Amino acid sequence: MRVGIEAINFYGGATVLDIRSLFEARQLDLRRFDNLMLQRKSVALPCEDPVTFAVNAARPLVEALTPAERARIELVVCGSESGIDFGKSLSTYVHHYLGLGRTCRLFEVKQACYGGTAALQTAVGFIASQASPGAKALVIGTDIGRATIRGSYVEPSQGAGAVAMLVGQDPAVLELDFGANGYHGYEVMDTCRPAADVETGDSDLSLIAYLDCLEHSFAEYARRVEGADFVDTFDYLAFHTPFPGMVKGAHRMLLRKLKGASPAVAEADFNRRVAPSLRYCQEVGNIYSATVYLALCGLLDGADLSVPRRIGLFSYGSGCCGEFFSGVAGPEARARLGALRKAEHLAQRIPLTLPQYEQLIDAGLEWVFGIQDKEVDLTPYRDLYDRALAGRGLLVLRRIRGYHREYDWS
Amino acid sequence: MDPETQRIFEVVKANVVKVLTGLDPALVTIERSLTELGANSVDRVEVVMYSAEDLGLDVPRAELHGARNLADLVAVLRRHAGA
Repeated sequence: MRVGIEAINFYGGATVLDIRSLFEARQLDLRRFDNLMLQRKSVALPCEDPVTFAVNAARPLVEALTPAERARIELVVCGSESGIDFGKSLSTYVHHYLGLGRTCRLFEVKQACYGGTAALQTAVGFIASQASPGAKALVIGTDIGRATIRGSYVEPSQGAGAVAMLVGQDPAVLELDFGANGYHGYEVMDTCRPAADVETGDSDLSLIAYLDCLEHSFAEYARRVEGADFVDTFDYLAFHTPFPGMVKGAHRMLLRKLKGASPAVAEADFNRRVAPSLRYCQEVGNIYSATVYLALCGLLDGADLSVPRRIGLFSYGSGCCGEFFSGVAGPEARARLGALRKAEHLAQRIPLTLPQYEQLIDAGLEWVFGIQDKEVDLTPYRDLYDRALAGRGLLVLRRIRGYHREYDWS
Repeated sequence: MDPETQRIFEVVKANVVKVLTGLDPALVTIERSLTELGANSVDRVEVVMYSAEDLGLDVPRAELHGARNLADLVAVLRRHAGA
């Protein structure tokens, strides 16, 4: 039986910040700007939250289905590290605003940036089990960076976005190699969100853990998949991308370790097999649970899919858990993806000045975790709202009443 | 510097120069930190890993974390080399 991704879409926000101007404003070392390989990042407005991002990513996928197909979505699982309630899941709101049927399992999973993959593999297991033949699952990674430490070197990479995937037995976008999964997890305190408005950690230790998981996950994949070779088996690669420069370093190290490749050989291989995955990551920044799938979107939109191509994916989440897995995409994927015009959507984002960005951070700080009652006041950013969201039919938060979030279409 | 420390430092130094292409080797002294020499986070991990490999050591990566200058790094490697 085939299982995998039937359709995929991302929502990368309505406003965008230029990273070089952020470096200059914060007086950060510009040598590190080159290492990031990041051009811009998406910024959430205070009337956007993980629910609106998730719904705005998923809605085009759901609307493309027939009512009969829509009724077969029997699982909605969100992966996120930007939760809004300890008990009630993001999926309950997402399910409601997408108008899905009630024969449906709803829950949320968390494991830092591995959350999207935890959600995907849960869905794949459900579909492959054939416990409900013909059912589909909606998997969404949705996250918003918490820019509470202005001027840190993490701030430039903290983006906002969501990737939605429809998982089922007609995997036109990416047929997963079922059972070809190498995973590796252990406890380490690298990066974390220990309080609702705190995102902190040790980025060097996180890099070390990422590399550890990459090496061991791939080794396990190769142990399970006879003849698997890091270079020959995969036409393309998409890795979790906290920032593109890190992926470049990780790829170079693994290639040297496995093949003794020189820096020049690694560079050529990177440009050929990895660089196509970075086109959206460079424009959106790190979107945590969803980042590896943003890389996949970039790859699917930029790669040569005139013949079936095997793609190797590496997912990593701090804390930590990593997984290397793979799938095949071909001409059918290109046909399905064409209608979504993701690059065009990114180009529509409204550029922010530094003062506007600061103002949005300040306004966002009012929306702390656990608010009981509050109306969204658009006044401080009315102009941005009007230009970026008004009339586009995107989901936005209107108020919280008795802890219950109420949304509406812009 | 005793001979063993010197030997390990020379391996580290060679890898610093290899990773930070174009760096004047004379600038690589044991008191300096990799960050001072212009290394980013990926460069730092590479120097550490390559040095351990060249010395034939299997050092858990997390243990190499926290070395603030080349002297610290050499000390960790030396401990694993059993010298």
